[in-house]
Amino acid sequence: MVYCAKKLLIIATLLLPIVACAPNRSAAPTGETTGEAQQPLVTGAIPDQDPEKLQRLYGKLSEYLEQELGVPVEYKPVTDYAAAVTAFKVGDLGLVWFGGLTGVQARLQVPGAEAIAQRDIDANFHSVFIANKKAGIQPLTDINGLQSLKGRTITFGSESSTSGRLMPQYFLQQAGVKLEDFKGQPGFSQSHDATIKLVEAGTYEVGALNEQVWKSRVAAGEVDLNQVDVIWRTPAYYDYHWVINPAVTEHYGADFVEKVQAALLKLDPNVPEQKEILELFGASKFIATENGNYQQIEAIGRQIGKIK
Amino acid sequence: METTNKSKRLGDKSAKLNESVNLNVNLNVNEILFELKQVNQQFGRLQALADLDLQIRAGERVALVGSSGAGKSTLIRLLNGTLRPTGGEVWALGRCLSRLSPRQLRQAQQHIGTIYQQFHLVDSLAVIHNVNAGHLSHWSFAKALFSLIYPLEIETAATALRRVGIPEKLYERTDRLSGGQQQRVALARVLVQNPLVILADEPVSSLDPERSREIMALLRDLVTETGKTLVVSLHSIDLALHYCNRVIGLREGRMQFDAPADAVTKAMIEALYRL
Amino acid sequence: MDNKPLQTVPRPAWLHQRLRWALIALIAIAVSLCAVGLQPAIFNWNGLGQLWRFLAASGQPDLSAEFLAVVLRAALTTLAYAVCSTCLSLLIGAVGGLLASEVWWLAVLPHQNLHRSISSTIRMILAIPRAIHELIWGLFFVNILGLDPLVAILAIAIPYGAIVAKVFSELLDETPRQPLFALLNSGVPAANAFIYSLIPQAFLNFVSYAFYRFECSIRSAAVLGIIGAGGLGYEILLSLQSLRYHQLWTLFLALFVLNGAVDWGSAWLRHRLGSPTRLDLNLRRPTRSRKQSKPGDPLVLGAGIGLLALIPFSFWYVAADWTKLWSPRTATLLAEVGQAIWPPRLETLPQLGPLLLQTLAMSILAIAIAGMGGVLLAFPAARNFWSPNGLLAGHTTSGLGRIWAWTRLLLTRAFLLMARAIPAPIWALVALFVLFPGILPGAVALGIHNLGILGRLMAEVVEDLDPRPVVALKAQGVTAPLLFLYGVLPLTLTRFLAYILYRWEVCTRETVIVGLVGAGGLGRLLTEQLSSFDYQNLLVTLAGFVVLTFVVDWISGTARRALR
Repeated sequence: MVYCAKKLLIIATLLLPIVACAPNRSAAPTGETTGEAQQPLVTGAIPDQDPEKLQRLYGKLSEYLEQELGVPVEYKPVTDYAAAVTAFKVGDLGLVWFGGLTGVQARLQVPGAEAIAQRDIDANFHSVFIANKKAGIQPLTDINGLQSLKGRTITFGSESSTSGRLMPQYFLQQAGVKLEDFKGQPGFSQSHDATIKLVEAGTYEVGALNEQVWKSRVAAGEVDLNQVDVIWRTPAYYDYHWVINPAVTEHYGADFVEKVQAALLKLDPNVPEQKEILELFGASKFIATENGNYQQIEAIGRQIGKIK
Repeated sequence: METTNKSKRLGDKSAKLNESVNLNVNLNVNEILFELKQVNQQFGRLQALADLDLQIRAGERVALVGSSGAGKSTLIRLLNGTLRPTGGEVWALGRCLSRLSPRQLRQAQQHIGTIYQQFHLVDSLAVIHNVNAGHLSHWSFAKALFSLIYPLEIETAATALRRVGIPEKLYERTDRLSGGQQQRVALARVLVQNPLVILADEPVSSLDPERSREIMALLRDLVTETGKTLVVSLHSIDLALHYCNRVIGLREGRMQFDAPADAVTKAMIEALYRL
Repeated sequence: MDNKPLQTVPRPAWLHQRLRWALIALIAIAVSLCAVGLQPAIFNWNGLGQLWRFLAASGQPDLSAEFLAVVLRAALTTLAYAVCSTCLSLLIGAVGGLLASEVWWLAVLPHQNLHRSISSTIRMILAIPRAIHELIWGLFFVNILGLDPLVAILAIAIPYGAIVAKVFSELLDETPRQPLFALLNSGVPAANAFIYSLIPQAFLNFVSYAFYRFECSIRSAAVLGIIGAGGLGYEILLSLQSLRYHQLWTLFLALFVLNGAVDWGSAWLRHRLGSPTRLDLNLRRPTRSRKQSKPGDPLVLGAGIGLLALIPFSFWYVAADWTKLWSPRTATLLAEVGQAIWPPRLETLPQLGPLLLQTLAMSILAIAIAGMGGVLLAFPAARNFWSPNGLLAGHTTSGLGRIWAWTRLLLTRAFLLMARAIPAPIWALVALFVLFPGILPGAVALGIHNLGILGRLMAEVVEDLDPRPVVALKAQGVTAPLLFLYGVLPLTLTRFLAYILYRWEVCTRETVIVGLVGAGGLGRLLTEQLSSFDYQNLLVTLAGFVVLTFVVDWISGTARRALR
């Protein structure tokens, strides 16, 4: 008890100043010093592709947005899909780069949230099915070819990934293939890169992932094409997009959503600084989008059980 | 009957050992069992034993007396080969212990049994296993392992426990026994080991006076019955004089006196313990 | 001598209690192995190249200045969070432990015969926060607190607090009570009597355990990815997702340093304070403290001041907004969560049984791997065993022999450090390169990670071993293998088993984080429901985990009592 009492005392004395000063320096860990008076716009992203670039990416993007919008912008690192959606829901994230499915999940939990921008490639996004060469699966000619995957082992990416899970599972369903038709339980490798490597290793015979990641890894020579190759490319669908929380209008004015959208769309590949941001996103341009574009994703999400 | 059994076993065993170990083991009384030549033992800066010369012959019952820190335990550890002298030589059973290979040392140690003040038993094992540990120097690994699951050579263990007076404790867990009973288990283990000499390092210091006398009497009877040699360190001079026939007084690592028990005088004892 | 026939005590039943438990364990492992499925191919030799690429990257970690700066900042963050959450969990644990102990209620309510039922009820309640993995606590707190450093602190502190409470209550109950009752009987109020008897008696064990908890917090912070605050866990997750092995190894190195420093520091301090083991479970008496430090030991004093200074620094550094705990928004959000999870839906109930068994099978295999590996490696990792002048070392050691002995010691310890510092999800990916998906790679991943923890704890048991019985056997000329069998093993095995059983419970919970192996059992279901925001069904799955924890708790409690 001596020990406990001491500890209590110590902690109590420690907590007092912290409790007192904490609210004033909520932005301190990231080192932002601008705008003491104004609440910062907190942005976030769900790491799905090249997440280690996020660090650099968001520093640049935050700077750009601060300049354009005239409000402090802060980046919060969140690694977990569910955590990002939840943080958006409770209003701690104002502007988030979501995937197709997670964007819908987030908007459904926040009435008034809006999808405002996407990359040029996102309006026409694809997934690829890849297979280990040893599995002897021939490239498929159409969606019905997916039936030949019955009895194989398969891995998806992350549970809530649109390109690594939702759409592939949807197209499998379209072809009449249920998850139970595969050998064992499907894997969830948690990332597109892990999917490539696990199929390349032959641990799983088939994998499904984001086509953009596949292409960039092939281009970089990081994939052994003697071990693994694409067997099918899915039809196009909408994927990644920026979603903005309606709460931001309370802090920064009614036209803030439009201002953010304009700032994103204005990113110009001809300006070196801005080109860098676009490159890090793997985009040549941001284009406008709207909630309606994701109706298909929402329907599929409900069908597959990812949206309740 | 027990005695004859035991002697017979002893005879068998020494014959076997003579063959395999080729140690010059001889049970003749007066044969030199231990010999210390100018032994020095240093622990860091502490001189635990200094210039000790000593001979112990088969059949003797030697008491080591002296106050704490006099070097009694150190001497016992030198005799059973767990400690190497920093100077001089310790000879046991005709061998210089510090010149033996680990294997040869183990073979010599099989003939030297030791019991301790704190018993040094494996608490969490049943008594049977602690007693059977006396067999370990000649048991195979497989047999030893099997015996832990299904105890072997129960007859021998039971006989030994009977001899020390606690036959009913055979399957009891050792840490459930009293101090006196645990020391009896340690004695039973030495009986099973059946060495030529028993070393005892303050075997009764943790016991009450009545228990002390019982254990000392038991120890004396055991060594006389089977013609073994006993070297025992004791706090109590009375016990030493009563149960042993030779008394060695140690003081600050040096030998103060070495005399037959009946020749030890009050003056010698006072000199030994004088501050 | 008498000629009566020898009366021998009847041989106890062949299948005595310990053997019965050994058989149960073997059967459990065998059944779990069957659950793996008797597929002909287990090893995926084709993946050796991938494994090699991962391992080879350890030779060239990313040491660019830019990245090192990131790593350094992240390491500091992780350390600060671990300090904060450890403090909080000790606070929770101290209070909870007192309330969950039988002896407290015996002292407070001496005349009602209620102490046992009250304390066991509280212990049952404490099992609930323990059953739920830190990751899920993290998500829960994001729901009610948003993105705040508080989330990560509480996510670790709540389940850990419950674990600390359990251990503290057991420590209190196992401490000799005579001094306490001597005071109580002379009219001293219960709280005062505790301060002057049980608590000082058990104090060193508390401190030791607190250090152990701190080490665990660091590991936990590395899995959690500290929502919204960065840290090593966050960086590891990022680099893992795009498989930047070189970066990963730099981060692992940071974890080695952090884990190693805390391990070493706490071992040193504990040694100085005279409490050699950290988790003195299963001893019916508290450890005798051998080497009490002198009151004014300047080194201990310095370390103590340093540690105390670390606490305010950490709280300042993480800058958690404690006002959120009582802000109206939190209450509103909590109510929303309540509405979202209630009423629970029982759709998944039929699946739950098989998934529960799958989780159980994975955890049994994991703990079997960790336990066996730990026992095997504990001895070469212990200072007092094979090293020169160790218990099993010969008398003569040549210079070369000494070098080899020390190299072996260091290599074993380095391996154990690596095994526990690298988070289980990484081991899962590595295992998945060379094993086909299923329960086995998950069990291997959890097994390796926990092996590192168990091996270290067990090495301490070996170092703490009472050498005298072993030396006594050695003096009798017994060879090393038999010395091991009759001296070392009986003296250590019960405590090894206590650790193994404790860790088993952790393994069941950790199955949540190795879901990528394609056989996560309950954990897989849980992640699916979390990512679907399906809170009504989630509640049922969590209840499944709680049931599992109760079962594992009960089995391990019964086994520990039987084996000591």
